[in-house]
Amino acid sequence: MSSSLTQFPHPRSRRRLPLPVGLYATLLPPLLWMTLLYFVPIVLLMSYSVWRLEAFDIVKDFSFVNFRTIFTNVAYRTVILRTLATALGVTVIDILIALPLGYWIGRYGGRYRALLTLLVILPLWSSYLVRVFAWKIILGYNGVLNSALMAVGILQEPSQVFLYNQFSTILTFVHVWLPFMILPVITAFERLPQDLLEVSADLNAPPWTTFRRVVLPLVTPGILAGSINVFSLTMGDFITPSLVGSANGILLGNVISSQFGVSYNWPLGAAFALVVMLIVFAGLAMVLRQGALDSL
Amino acid sequence: MWHRLLSTVLIGCLSFALWLPAQPVQAAGCTLTAIVWEGYTDSSFAKKFEQDTGCKVKATYAGSSDEMFAKFRAGGGRTYDLISASGDITERLYKAGLVQPIETSKLKNYDAVFTSFQGGKWNTFDGRPYGVTFAWGPNVLVYDTKAVQPAPTSWDVLAEPAYAGKISLPDNPMTIADVALWLGKADPYDLTEADLAEVKQTLLALRPNIRKFWTTAGELANLFQSGEIELAHAWPLTYTQLSEAGFPIGSVSPKGKLTGWTDSWMISKNARNPEAAYQWIDYVLSSEGQKGVMDVTGYSGATTLGAAAVGAERAHELFMDDLSLHSQIKMWQSVKNYDQWVQLWNEIRS
Repeated sequence: MSSSLTQFPHPRSRRRLPLPVGLYATLLPPLLWMTLLYFVPIVLLMSYSVWRLEAFDIVKDFSFVNFRTIFTNVAYRTVILRTLATALGVTVIDILIALPLGYWIGRYGGRYRALLTLLVILPLWSSYLVRVFAWKIILGYNGVLNSALMAVGILQEPSQVFLYNQFSTILTFVHVWLPFMILPVITAFERLPQDLLEVSADLNAPPWTTFRRVVLPLVTPGILAGSINVFSLTMGDFITPSLVGSANGILLGNVISSQFGVSYNWPLGAAFALVVMLIVFAGLAMVLRQGALDSL
Repeated sequence: MWHRLLSTVLIGCLSFALWLPAQPVQAAGCTLTAIVWEGYTDSSFAKKFEQDTGCKVKATYAGSSDEMFAKFRAGGGRTYDLISASGDITERLYKAGLVQPIETSKLKNYDAVFTSFQGGKWNTFDGRPYGVTFAWGPNVLVYDTKAVQPAPTSWDVLAEPAYAGKISLPDNPMTIADVALWLGKADPYDLTEADLAEVKQTLLALRPNIRKFWTTAGELANLFQSGEIELAHAWPLTYTQLSEAGFPIGSVSPKGKLTGWTDSWMISKNARNPEAAYQWIDYVLSSEGQKGVMDVTGYSGATTLGAAAVGAERAHELFMDDLSLHSQIKMWQSVKNYDQWVQLWNEIRS
């Protein structure tokens, strides 16, 4: 081998461009970043998920016992289904709110468009926790809503139905993630060519048909991009359900945080985290095939 | 498209904000690090220690014994010098080799510890002390005295329809032991599967009454103050906090139906500041330290110095003169089938 190596420097190689050091150097920081903060933790997470807890000790033997627990236990299955339903529900409601808003800002915002967009994202400038707490104050037993309803005489005494249930969880999620849906939808509407709508009208299509056959297909990538934002943010969240959620309505995020905290079963928690990731990746894959990220 | 850039930046900011709250506690210079139950390193008395020794006390609060154990162990025992371990994890800490034996001769105030607490079976292993008992108390029933009349005398009040949606329980699997006690089980820490099924039935029947499971004493106090709940299974700390805030709060300890804890300071085997840790333990055993802990938390102290510091009357209230309550309380201990307990708890919560 060494003898064959000595035969090289091929005459032509002298004309080859020098190694693009600059390119590799610029790639290095993001690569390091991704490796240290993304790939390594995921590998750790995956290895924990196939270990198991025995007598308060993590046994580093390969087994699928955690996944079996997750899928055979009725309570855990309920939590998975509830989380999925909540995430899908929040996404759909956000779409329904974002569509008219995005349409209006994108088409009729005119010179105020930048300002209106700014107003949409303004809530994001305050802390996420503050926004969740605000809902606690609004919906609470002695909260703003109850006081207002009592002041106008609709209620005789404060009601408990507003806070600590599925309703308050979904309402809070819908509110805190809404900007992530509206932004891509506005972008999609901005890109929508006005002439297509005129053509559709010229061809005698009623407004609803124009919306269904022309507008919707063209803004779908924007909606999907927003959906994957909202869906994945909801799937992994545990703060909202623990602050405004019901006593018996925990989501996957709560189960994971309790496995890593109060109950100290990291392997089971890691397995749960992988389940959440798989669900989100499945959603992402479906949405990607529809070309969602083209318009993010 | 500036929207695209904007959304990327925003998503980035948000994920960063979500990532922030996990702040690691690191020892640097003379910084004493500890993982404790809420109130055990309150600045009202820790400040004096910091002035006297020049060591800063940096504490992390835990929500359950398991969390305490996990966090204490996570950094190889280097993250925290001290742990305020309850009786259910002292043995686990010893067996995991995470704590070092205590040289009682290094503690000036050790002789003041109640004789029956010196060499207590919850922190003495293999004939050597691995912890120093400094506080104990029962889990009590606290209630809004304006809303709950007449004053309750038994845990049964939690199930009354009048308080539907008005009660709170701790979000901690150890609560199962309390329910077992209400059901009349002799040893609430040794439950068979049949016992657990019975506990589950009771908790499921109780669930409609539960407004919220609490995780920190601060959260529980807030639930009372905002009118969300009227009754709770709580630490005496909540009673102390709320009565100091002028809230109409009452507390009952139904006889024979009490769980509780006996807490010991234990020093990590890999502690960075073992000397400072000894100084802290000694300080908490002293009159000032004991009075500080008792005033802040409302728990009972463990030394004669503490009993003298709060006065005979208060010491009697806290059962520090005859320790009669201590023997009645079913103190938290290690649970053999704890996995099943956690599972049951998750089922109740889901």
